[in-house]
Amino acid sequence: MSGKIDRRNFLKIMGLGGAGTALGGCDLPSTVTLEEGKEEVVSYLMPEEYVIPGVGVWYASTCAQCAAGCGIHGRVREGRVLKLEGNPDSSMNHGKICMMGQSGVQAHYNPDRIKTPMLREGGNLVAVSWEKAVGAIQEKLSAANGDQVAWFTGTLSGHQAALVSNHLEALGSRKHYIHEPINASVWQAVNKDMLGEAMPRLRLDKAQMILSFGADFLGTWISPVHFSGEYAKFRKQKRRGLLVTIEPKMSLTGANSDLWIPAIPGTEGVIALGIAHQLVKNHSKDMSSLPASVQGLINKYDAATTAKIAGIDEKRIQRIAELLVERSPSLVLAGAPVEGQAKGYASVAAVMLLNQLLGNIGQTIESQGSFPFNQLKAKTGGTSDLFSFVETAKNKQLSVVFFYGTNPKFTAPKAMEMDSALNDVPFKVAISMFMDETSMAADVVLPAASYLEDWGTHVAAYQPQQTAISMQQPLMEKLYAETRGFGDIVLDLLKVAKKDVYSAFADYYAYLKNAHAALPAEYKEAGMTDGDAWSAALQKGLVNVATGSMSLPVKPVSFGDPAPADSGGKFAYHFVPSARLGMWDGRHANLPWIQEAPDQITKVVWDSWAEIHPLTAQKLGIKNGSIINVESEHGTAKVQAVLIKAIHPDVIAIPMGQGHEEYGRYAKGRGANPLKLLNPVKEETTGELAMYATRVNASPTSQKEVVVRLGASDTQAGRRFVVTVPVEQYQRTEGA
Amino acid sequence: MSLENLLGNWSQYRKGHEEGGFHDYKHLWGMAIDLDICIGCNACATACYAENNLAVVGKERFEKGQAMHWLRLERYWDQNELDHPAQGASFLPMMCQQCDAATCEPVCPVAATYHTPDGLNAQVYNRCIGSRYCSNNCPYRNRYFNFYSYYEDSWPEPLNMQLNPDLTVRDKGVMEKCTFCVQRIRVAKDNAKMENRPVADGEAMTACAQACPTNAIVFGDYMDKDSQVAKLWKKHQVKLRLTKQNKENPELRGYRIFEELNVDPSVMYLERVREEV
Repeated sequence: MSGKIDRRNFLKIMGLGGAGTALGGCDLPSTVTLEEGKEEVVSYLMPEEYVIPGVGVWYASTCAQCAAGCGIHGRVREGRVLKLEGNPDSSMNHGKICMMGQSGVQAHYNPDRIKTPMLREGGNLVAVSWEKAVGAIQEKLSAANGDQVAWFTGTLSGHQAALVSNHLEALGSRKHYIHEPINASVWQAVNKDMLGEAMPRLRLDKAQMILSFGADFLGTWISPVHFSGEYAKFRKQKRRGLLVTIEPKMSLTGANSDLWIPAIPGTEGVIALGIAHQLVKNHSKDMSSLPASVQGLINKYDAATTAKIAGIDEKRIQRIAELLVERSPSLVLAGAPVEGQAKGYASVAAVMLLNQLLGNIGQTIESQGSFPFNQLKAKTGGTSDLFSFVETAKNKQLSVVFFYGTNPKFTAPKAMEMDSALNDVPFKVAISMFMDETSMAADVVLPAASYLEDWGTHVAAYQPQQTAISMQQPLMEKLYAETRGFGDIVLDLLKVAKKDVYSAFADYYAYLKNAHAALPAEYKEAGMTDGDAWSAALQKGLVNVATGSMSLPVKPVSFGDPAPADSGGKFAYHFVPSARLGMWDGRHANLPWIQEAPDQITKVVWDSWAEIHPLTAQKLGIKNGSIINVESEHGTAKVQAVLIKAIHPDVIAIPMGQGHEEYGRYAKGRGANPLKLLNPVKEETTGELAMYATRVNASPTSQKEVVVRLGASDTQAGRRFVVTVPVEQYQRTEGA
Repeated sequence: MSLENLLGNWSQYRKGHEEGGFHDYKHLWGMAIDLDICIGCNACATACYAENNLAVVGKERFEKGQAMHWLRLERYWDQNELDHPAQGASFLPMMCQQCDAATCEPVCPVAATYHTPDGLNAQVYNRCIGSRYCSNNCPYRNRYFNFYSYYEDSWPEPLNMQLNPDLTVRDKGVMEKCTFCVQRIRVAKDNAKMENRPVADGEAMTACAQACPTNAIVFGDYMDKDSQVAKLWKKHQVKLRLTKQNKENPELRGYRIFEELNVDPSVMYLERVREEV
């Protein structure tokens, strides 16, 4: 590397800049050599001496099936990765992974992988060489205004995030759109204002009671595998933890509750204020530090008023308040149904206010501490960037956009006009493993290596008690020679955009290895060479990071009345585009194990369906298996009806994930995409898409189908398969 | 056997297994599944697909009941619920219970299903002629028949590269079922033997137990009195070879499904707990 790069810039290049922590041990000149990188690039492809045919060897890496960043071990035999399991050293997931993590091998070995770069020529995407594809990209990049170049990604972290940022900075652009349909963005915004920290650490294991307003922490919320492990501890406390869930449609968390209360989406904030009212009036909780407007809201929502708006029994609200006081410390959470309203911020703030009144902050809600490497932190997103992308594209302010790890053409509501916004971007580059909807609309498609073939580092937004950088390494050689790792693709772009600096690195592997060497001395065992420390990090799969201790100063947050205002007009039912653990936002619809795995609640396989309460169905003349039209202001979905009592009678739910128009043989043309039906309503404070604010009508057609599902019987018909015992009995035998 | 003889000696037939039979096991693999912390997430079932080369059959064949899920996750609603299931759902991971007096074994005309010296209920694919008598006789519905050759449909290239070489891909006409991941037990036993030591608790681990995010599934050797699974059985006062448990403390949560059928399952479930609010 040339000698003119100063230390501060060097750290920045290595993704370690920003926070100004002590990086004293970094050994600049001796570690950054091209030769070292080159030499090591091939070494991992050579079989090690201890590789014995017929014997599986486990290698550590990081799961990329969602953004939770669980550590994994992959079993490798005869050069093939066969099975993934959790990394027992990872305090995120303690050796466990979910069904999506297990299915990672099916993404990697998927028969519909993209094998070569493609370029749009005469309207069609045709296979071309990398040179030609990259040449086309560079031609457009050099012709474009730097600030009209953008990245559009899913959650990114670690050095991949650092490189993308550095690429944008080199071009003089600030346009990084980040989109995740399943997110906790509004909750994070409230936390930022209330606690000064967007993603505080949650101590489920210390909570005596959890009250969840639609936060599906066992299924789809933030870090489900981690929270599942903590949930087991929560239940196994001396006094078994009590779980109460309030949500429009039963989630996996709801299905595990001691008490599940159906609620109309949008009324959660009112219910929370109703509980706050009880806490203040009947349990002498102090609200004097709260802003006058919030005190006014608490005063307003007495039990009768709350019950009237929310349709929940007064006594129930009083009882929940009583329990929250009795079972201290507790933990109150807000998820997607609370966030997904025009007044989502106010609703979430009302829910989080309960933690404040109950004194949970500092008890079950802790600071994550300060993470020393700002550039490596997770860049999370929600849905607000969909709006800003569409607006910017329509104003013709985007000339080149890179897409990676996101599929906005599939996930954006039809009313947002994403299709025409994409048409307004003259040059789109998709870096993808599969031809999804967005890739099909791109001008250049670059075939990405799978996460089991690639290098990387990951720092999940939510970190458990031990913060760590999770290492990603290839578990086998690339299946297709023409695919390239994401880090390599970005690095190659940087080699053009900032040649003087980045041309020193042979490839992303060399870059990462140097970045690891540049970590402070305390990150390596004493006496270890950089090479040994690197091997140790790969072997363990993670690099533990010491975080600075921080407290959570509670700041009073004022918010408006969360009461729902709109009537819905001619549309009678609240629409819930629900999230499934497995299918997620649709990214796993091309994995046969996921398609064949029954939905946890309805047990339906291989299809879409609309969940409707039997009372509502009767009113509408809908039977189980009826093909119905679910119609919103912006579209119609034709799906089979599944009658289920685990939903509010005023709600119709269609799970996300199906309805792909592209995306390979397992996903294409299967079911319906509920996201297309959504009204483009914005959450007022954060600008997020209010995903639970759409109203629909449902009407039967003359068609009917057999609902294909696991299990013929909904009940045990009096037999003793799953026996339920009262908690009092459990406390006598196993409690304390 | 005359009907008269059968009725006259009924109690003896029912007790036959409790009193006699082969019980000199070196290992007896068993499970304990805590239904209070099973969250119904399906990680176990997917791990089973990954480990055991289970075919994906598609929607049409799933509808006909031909899915090959060795471990299926049942979901039940409470019967007394009114408008809503106020206490959530009941989840039940259901896999072969590896019965010690398995009803599937004696009906096999070719002895393809037999009992191993480890107490496992094994299926010899090469012997199986597909009579399906075993499946008819399984009270848990845990045997799955290959009505088709799935290897082309289920693993189009390169998906076949994921197949676990430690066990076979079953072909048309063959019955298959959960093996308690016998290939993983094999590796653990071989390693222990090579090092001349007993198999350690946790060394042999089924894919489902390994995957379970809440550790609701505990797998191990019932004959190893210090194993976690043996301790759990003991703690909950559940014993093998009984058709009705005779617990000192009947409030303990352990129970076996269908043990009254005298099949002697090797899986103990722990009752789900709910708090009335």
